[in-house]
Amino acid sequence: MSPQTPPPLEIHDLTVAYHKKPVLYGIDLVVPSGRLVGIVGPNGAGKSTLIKAILGLAPPSSGWVKIFGKPYRNNAKRVGYVPQRESVDWDFPVNVRDVVLMGRYGRLGWLKRPGKADREVARACLEKVQMLPYANRQISNLSGGQQQRVFLARALAQESDLYLLDEPFAGVDVATESAIVNILSQLRAQGKTLMVVHHDLTTARKYFDMLLLLNMRMVDYGPTDEVFTYEKLQATYGGRLTILSQVADSLSQEKENLPVGP
Amino acid sequence: MKMIPPFDIVSFFRAPWTEAWESSLWIVIMGFLVNAACGLVGSFLVLRRMALVGDAISHSVLPGIAVAFLLSTSRSSGLMMVGAVGAGLFAVWLIEFIHRNTRVKPDAALGVTFTTLFSIGVILIALYADQVDLDLECVLYGEIGFVYFAESFALLGMEVPIPVLRMAVTLFGLLVLLLLFYKEAVVTSFDPVLATSLGIPARWVHYGLMLSLSVVIVFSFESVGAILVIAMLILPSVTGSLLSDRLAHILIMSAVFSALYALAGLHLATWLNCSPAGAMVVAGFLLFCLAWILSPRRGLLTQLRKGRRGLRIEHGCTGSTGFE
Amino acid sequence: MHPNHPYRALALAGGLLLLTAGDLSAAKIGDLSDTRFWDQLIRFFSLRDPSLRYTLTASLFLGTCCGLLGSFIVVRKLSLMGDTLSHAVLPGVALGFLWTMTKNPWAIFVGATLAGLLGTVVVHWIHTTTHIKEDSAMGLVLSGFYALGICLFTMIQQLPTANKAGLDKFLFGQAAALSAEDLWMIGIVTILSLLAIVLFYKEFLVTSFDFGFAQALGLSARFFHYLIMLLLALSVVIALQAVGVVLVSALLITPAATAFLLTDRMHRMLIYASLFGMGAGVAGAFFSYLGNSLPTGPFIIVAASTLFALALLFSNRYGIIPRWIRNLSRDRRIQIENTLKAVYHVREKNAFSIDGIPVKALQNRRKLSPSEVEKEIRQLVRRGFASMDEPDPEALPDRERKLFLTPSGWETACRIVRNHRLWELYLTESVRYQPDHVHDDAEEIEHLLGEDIVRQLERRLNYPTRDPHGKLIPSLQDLSKTPLAGPSR
Repeated sequence: MSPQTPPPLEIHDLTVAYHKKPVLYGIDLVVPSGRLVGIVGPNGAGKSTLIKAILGLAPPSSGWVKIFGKPYRNNAKRVGYVPQRESVDWDFPVNVRDVVLMGRYGRLGWLKRPGKADREVARACLEKVQMLPYANRQISNLSGGQQQRVFLARALAQESDLYLLDEPFAGVDVATESAIVNILSQLRAQGKTLMVVHHDLTTARKYFDMLLLLNMRMVDYGPTDEVFTYEKLQATYGGRLTILSQVADSLSQEKENLPVGP
Repeated sequence: MKMIPPFDIVSFFRAPWTEAWESSLWIVIMGFLVNAACGLVGSFLVLRRMALVGDAISHSVLPGIAVAFLLSTSRSSGLMMVGAVGAGLFAVWLIEFIHRNTRVKPDAALGVTFTTLFSIGVILIALYADQVDLDLECVLYGEIGFVYFAESFALLGMEVPIPVLRMAVTLFGLLVLLLLFYKEAVVTSFDPVLATSLGIPARWVHYGLMLSLSVVIVFSFESVGAILVIAMLILPSVTGSLLSDRLAHILIMSAVFSALYALAGLHLATWLNCSPAGAMVVAGFLLFCLAWILSPRRGLLTQLRKGRRGLRIEHGCTGSTGFE
Repeated sequence: MHPNHPYRALALAGGLLLLTAGDLSAAKIGDLSDTRFWDQLIRFFSLRDPSLRYTLTASLFLGTCCGLLGSFIVVRKLSLMGDTLSHAVLPGVALGFLWTMTKNPWAIFVGATLAGLLGTVVVHWIHTTTHIKEDSAMGLVLSGFYALGICLFTMIQQLPTANKAGLDKFLFGQAAALSAEDLWMIGIVTILSLLAIVLFYKEFLVTSFDFGFAQALGLSARFFHYLIMLLLALSVVIALQAVGVVLVSALLITPAATAFLLTDRMHRMLIYASLFGMGAGVAGAFFSYLGNSLPTGPFIIVAASTLFALALLFSNRYGIIPRWIRNLSRDRRIQIENTLKAVYHVREKNAFSIDGIPVKALQNRRKLSPSEVEKEIRQLVRRGFASMDEPDPEALPDRERKLFLTPSGWETACRIVRNHRLWELYLTESVRYQPDHVHDDAEEIEHLLGEDIVRQLERRLNYPTRDPHGKLIPSLQDLSKTPLAGPSR
């Protein structure tokens, strides 16, 4: 990596505590440009937390994250984010186009309203995810797969260089899944970098260039062929690190200041 | 029963506009302004599932008003305004403080906080009744009926009652704020995580909303009291959301509803000889029930026709307060 | 001190009475009531007044009833349902009055209960048949029903019938105006609630904790849900006259929330909540008695809130101040442990050859200012972890001041260093940290590892002797190998 082009994402010794309970320990990784990276691990492994920590939404208790060589705040516009579907209220009175336009808000800044150019971008993004016919539909009348596509279109509208996707394949139909995979590879072909939280091991190998095996700490990280081995997956999924989670528990108790014992 | 006067459609529509028409006019205008301003702020509260925070603030401003009265004994002073808004924001802070620092859940924290502040307010008013020019009836259902008799201010050759003027300025200010920060308000309500990652400070939008809410509640307080204002915060936008799926349409509709509530409420109140503010809310509640039953998209009748009883969640009555 | 003592609860309640007495300027109340403050006080406690006896009995019953039922709604996060219910009864009160055209308590009772139940049902309907969220639904019903009630009330006020006096008591409460019939009703509802809770305690418990599980157990969870709602509606109605529409919900929520801060067990919570409810009721009755025309409700609520504030601040387990103190003492302990560790490091550097640690060396190691290090040393000495060799600077100007650890101090130092190094080893070996990343983590963890976790770590790492940086992990045997000499004088 030449010093002129800092990597899209660099994480150094990142430890994150949620509600004062550590959920991620000492993550260290560098994501090179133009890769499609899968984050894989069991439930409660801290996959979503890692994404949130990258976005500065879960403050780290130690370590740092750099986006293209700068702290997230200074480079927020280069990051697109696709949250889990359940994270929003789908009864909210907006239609599909409004949601996609929200992706443009970060570029607009205060007091400006989305203009014609923004609408054009939103239209193009909707077309990419094959949701243009639904542009005027209220979001509560969408299927799970369609909701996911809307979120993807919104992230596309952000026109970022690094995309973070939290379980984009959760509960979507087969057509949507392949459509999303398609878009992800198109984005990679354009030189974008993508990190995707994924929970399906059977497809993980097929979809991603690189894998990050996560279970409270980084079990392994590297090209899919090297990482996707029985031993390493066993190490990721095989039982929780009892001592680590015990200590996490006692740590959170201590910090919550509960007297230990009855 | 002699309590309900005979219903005569002609006199129902004409009665308010005979000898006391000027008073009626100002009641309707004031009712519209209060409803519209509350509805505007309230729609965002509803979207953020913070409807009951309005409840909390509207009760909590009472001690602020009482203290301000004790200090200044004048109703229209800026001090009262500051005291009351301060009390409202203090309540919001206290609720957050309690549930952040202890294991008391937000709903209980809210309940404890506003009832305490309200009690203190009532006690202050009862103890210093001679100094506080605010009777408890006003707290319970406001005195919008007397708006015409308030001090007035000459404007364009018209004698405009000061409360009306104040409310109009508030509504105008809210509209300006809404136009300026519409997209921030929407995105932070819909997806605060995305908002933060887009660099929009969700916290500041939250505080801004709480501040506007307190201001609106304080100015509405004299007219409609502490409890009816909750209806005015929630009713317009909830009724609107039964009829439309677009936020902009809902906001426009709630303005129309506000005018309807004010008019219908005045006529009801004149006919039945009851509290105009109460009647406005009753009218609004009836309109809501109509929309609930008849709404073409989401009404009960439509649901019945489609044969799907939209039973969404079998059970679970967890009151969300937006502080989770 | 353990929070779960009934005495503690009682002591809190007693403290509250005194506190509130100081709060509200007694002289002021005396002025208003045209009687002497002390006369009223004596009258109150001698229970000479029959109406006062009513009031007190009612307060005790209401406190019990609302405390018990309130506990269930607080743990179920339904607190605001109580608020909704209390406003929704208002039209029922008015209609009950219109039914008989007198202030017949039974008619009002029936009307109010029905209206309250209708309110909860409407909330449920709105919630299940529309997209409207529950908070909005509650707000709608609360204010809509209330508005209807207000319209009816203002209409009743226009009626020529004389017997409407006292209706406004429903709005703010006037416990002194309770009649014998009211008292009967209060008593019956309280006993009903008490009976229901005693009989169905385990059903209520499981339904409140996990509705789905209760259903899976074959319990008719729905029945118990509605039973609680019915009892809740009844208790709101009986409490109306004492505290008023707006504040009934506080009588349900506040004592229960206070109890929730003091205990983790449901049955204790029920007992505490009813005690607090009773205490608040008596205190409220007292203060409103002092000033003749003062509404009772607000005083009861302020009394209950004072209890809540006390619990919030001082509850042993969840209170803010005890937690703050625990924080401070933990920080101090960590400081001391760090100093002890520094002593270990200094000795280790000298291959454990010296016993006395020059103050200067400790200061350098801890990176503290001279005054800070002196403070640390004083702490160590006070806790019996160390002693100082203080040569007379005039007699022996060349000799340094030295610190000697006592056996317990040395043991603690070894324990902390062992924790630190074991954790580093665990992170590098089992969690695959890079060796240069483990130190900061271990700096924090070392103070928190309990003896059992340390044993587990040792077993898992196969009783290691060297940490990832090749340093010795001090074990208990090492302690005996390097016996400490006391300060040589």
